[in-house]
Parts: sequence; C-alpha cells; structure tokens
Amino acid sequence: MMGLTDLFNMSKPEGDKQKELIRQLAVLGVKNPSLCFQCAKCTSGCEAMKLLELQPHSVMASVKTGFLDEMMNSDVIWACVGCFKCKERCPQEMSPVDVMFILKNWYVMSGGSLPGDYQNLLQGILSTGYIQEPVEVLDKDNKGWSREKLGLPKRGHPKNINGFMSALSQLAAEKL
Amino acid sequence: MIRKLGFYPGCVMSAEQYAYEMSIREVLPDLGVELVDLENTSCCGAPLRSVNLLMQMYLSARNIAVCEEKGLDMFVPCALGHLSLVETKNRLNNSKELREKIVKKLKENEGLEYRGDLEIYHTVDLLHDVIGVERIKEKVSNPVKWKIACHYGCHTIRYTEAGRPDAAEHPSKMEEIIKAIGGETWNYSEKLNCCGAPLMVTHKEAALTKTGEKLKAVKDRGFDALAIVCPYGGRLLDGKQEKAGSTIGEKLDVPVFYLTQLVGLAVGRNPDRLGLNLNLSPVDRLI
Ligand code: SF4
Ligand code: SF4
Repeated sequence: MMGLTDLFNMSKPEGDKQKELIRQLAVLGVKNPSLCFQCAKCTSGCEAMKLLELQPHSVMASVKTGFLDEMMNSDVIWACVGCFKCKERCPQEMSPVDVMFILKNWYVMSGGSLPGDYQNLLQGILSTGYIQEPVEVLDKDNKGWSREKLGLPKRGHPKNINGFMSALSQLAAEKL
Repeated sequence: MIRKLGFYPGCVMSAEQYAYEMSIREVLPDLGVELVDLENTSCCGAPLRSVNLLMQMYLSARNIAVCEEKGLDMFVPCALGHLSLVETKNRLNNSKELREKIVKKLKENEGLEYRGDLEIYHTVDLLHDVIGVERIKEKVSNPVKWKIACHYGCHTIRYTEAGRPDAAEHPSKMEEIIKAIGGETWNYSEKLNCCGAPLMVTHKEAALTKTGEKLKAVKDRGFDALAIVCPYGGRLLDGKQEKAGSTIGEKLDVPVFYLTQLVGLAVGRNPDRLGLNLNLSPVDRLI
C-alpha cells in the first residue's frame, strides 16, 4: 500500500509555482501577494519575530520575487505560530500566514519530512480521528482522573473509520 | 428559554482539559443552554493546517455536517476549533470548486450531508450574546471578588474577516462577564499576546517562553488570577506553569481558571463539579 507521503507527493505543485500559489490563495479567498508594498506592519506585530526571527514581510518579498523553492524549503516558515496578527493588520489585505501554510503544505508534498511532533498528530488523526486519546490526568495530590471517573460521557468518534481514512488519503493526493 | 446546541468538544479538551468540559456541562444548563453530545465527531483539522489544508477543511466540514444531521446549531469551546470550523464554512460558501470537492468526499466516503448553514458559537459569544450578561448577573449568589486578567487567545479574536466572537484589537466581552460575576478587571498591555501553545509541536522552548512571559505580565500587573477560554492555552498556562517559569527563570504562581469555572463559582454551583481539583496552578489560594 502507498504511504501517505507518496500520496502527498502526487499533489506537489509543478510548472509555474508562482501562478499556482496565486491560484491556491484565491481558492482560500486571499489576495495576490504582489499587492504587498513591504510596509513591514506584519513583522512589527509578529508573535514569532523576537524569539524565532520570523519576518513575514521578508517571506512576502521572497514570494513576490519568485524565490518560492527557497522559501518552501526554509525552516523559518515553521516558526509561524499561526496567530493571524499579520493577516488581521495588513493594510493591503495580504495574508503572510496563509502564504506560509501553503508553502509548508508544498514542502510536505514534495517529500519533506514532517518536523517536530507533526507525524504523531497525523498518525493519531488517521487511526482514531483525533490528535490525542483521552488520558488519565493527575490532580495536585497525584490522584488519577479519567473521563469515566469524572462522570464525563465517552467522546464521539468517526463511525465509519474506513470511509473517514479513505477520504483523507484521497485528499492527500489532490491539489487545493 | 432553552437553547439546544450540538456540543463539539474537539481533541484537547476531551483528551485532557477536563476542567473546562466539566465546568461547561455544570454551568450552561443552569443558564438555559441544553448541550447535546454528538457521536460521530473527530479532530477539527486545525492542527493540520501546516501539513495539508484540504485535510484541515475536510475535518472541519465533517464535524459541521455531523451537527447538522441533528438539526442543531453548534457550540465549540476551543478557540482553534471554532476558527477552523467557521473559516471552513465561509470558504466553502465562497468557493464553488472547493465546496464541490469536499461535499462530494463527505457524501461518498462517510455518507455525510453538508449544508453549512448552522450557527457556530464559542464560549465568549455564547455567554455574552446568547445567554447575556444580565442573565448571568441575576444568578450570581457568590461573587468572585478577585482581580482577574482576561486572556482571549489568538483564535478567539482573529481574524475579523472570518467572523469572531469578539473584536480583534479591543475585545471586551470577557471583561463584562468578569464584572458581572463580581470580579475586578482592566486592560493590560500584554492582553493580546499569544500564549505560545501552537509552537509546542515544533519549538517547545519558544512555546514555554511565551507562556512564561504572558504569566509574568499578569503577575506584574497586579492581578490575582487569569481567566481563559481555550483548552490549548489551558494546557500550557495552567498545566505547564512551573516549566514555563523555569524556562524564563521566574517563579510563577498565577491561579488560572477557565471562564466557565469562574461563572460556576459565582452562580453557586458545586466546586467539585467544576473540575477545580484538576487545575494545576494554585487556584486553591483563592477558593
Ligand atoms: S504583508 Fe501587508 S503588512 Fe506585511 S509588508 Fe506586505 S503590505 Fe505590509
Ligand atoms: S500568523 Fe505567523 S507570521 Fe503572522 S504574525 Fe502570527 S506568527 Fe507572525
């Protein structure tokens, strides 16, 4: 059976990447990055700037000038917290955060290995529908509490897990 | 008036942040909201945005469809989940191409019918707009008289275009609720700062630094406690406070409560049923 990475690989962007980026952004309802006038307002409020040196306006500059391969393979886009401040505050209605989501998706599609705990999150969703299973938590006296012990009902889960997994695998091989 | 809502718990609350879920289940029925559990739910997809946006939107859309099957509007107490579901609903309304792709997959693989015309509430707008501050105030028997800082979390308020429970730059609904239940609160410069939680996947140290800085600000500004409305935030702000403190070289001891726990205390619900024994931050100091 094909692994998920092979499936992702089938949806990797080919040809003119810049055109493809503009198309995919439009599907999400986001405007063409060429309208960015490099005011750096996004960077001034960026939650990942001080600690992880992310500069969303520089990402936008690279994207505008066609350095898409460089950006998509750079570690820096994985520093984005996803706080949406850049999108909220941009005077040109740009969305650096969405540009980076797409570039990270492309990196994964081109066979890049998933950083950090992403592999676990993905595995969790594909096997049970959730990123994590309910655990027994400890209170301050080290006493363990499960959902059951607390009188919480069982949580819902995908009833047709095969159909659920098959939908996700199909989408992995498709373009946005 | 009884308002019936489909209750969508999401991953983190239902897997470990039980205090939030317990206080929600204990408090809302008393305020006229009946919660209906949904059986066919899954992750909302938000944690997968960076991996695959189509998967993210499929996951959000399927949970909407699961709730629509019951003919109910929806309650999503997780800020990340709420944004992901609302955003997906908008995107499927705005792009025919996207809608057809997702709707077809839902039907063919899981037999789910997606319409996307339900209301989706988060804790903040449910308490403030649907139940109403006056109604909460009327029920208060045991005012919580502490100085409480509000933390909305990034996804509760951004981004405006998606339609959020409160204003992006000057949110005030949590503060109104805190005042209605007897607390004191004010704006502080770090109010809109991120708690760092999404960074735990790839940059743990940076995540904990952000958590630590946020809590230190709350402490330095003279608050007794912090109120939160997102289980992702709770996992760090309450659950990893000690670690966040040692990461930034500070001793942190800020009591962190879910807003629904505070409302529950104020309206006189049994503290044992509000999950207060599960908060790992020093909440006992106040109650
Ligand atoms: S993305 Fe927007 S805020 Fe950032 S530099 Fe460009 S125009 Fe300015
Ligand atoms: S969403 Fe990412 S790039 Fe935009 S301001 Fe937040 S951390 Fe920075």
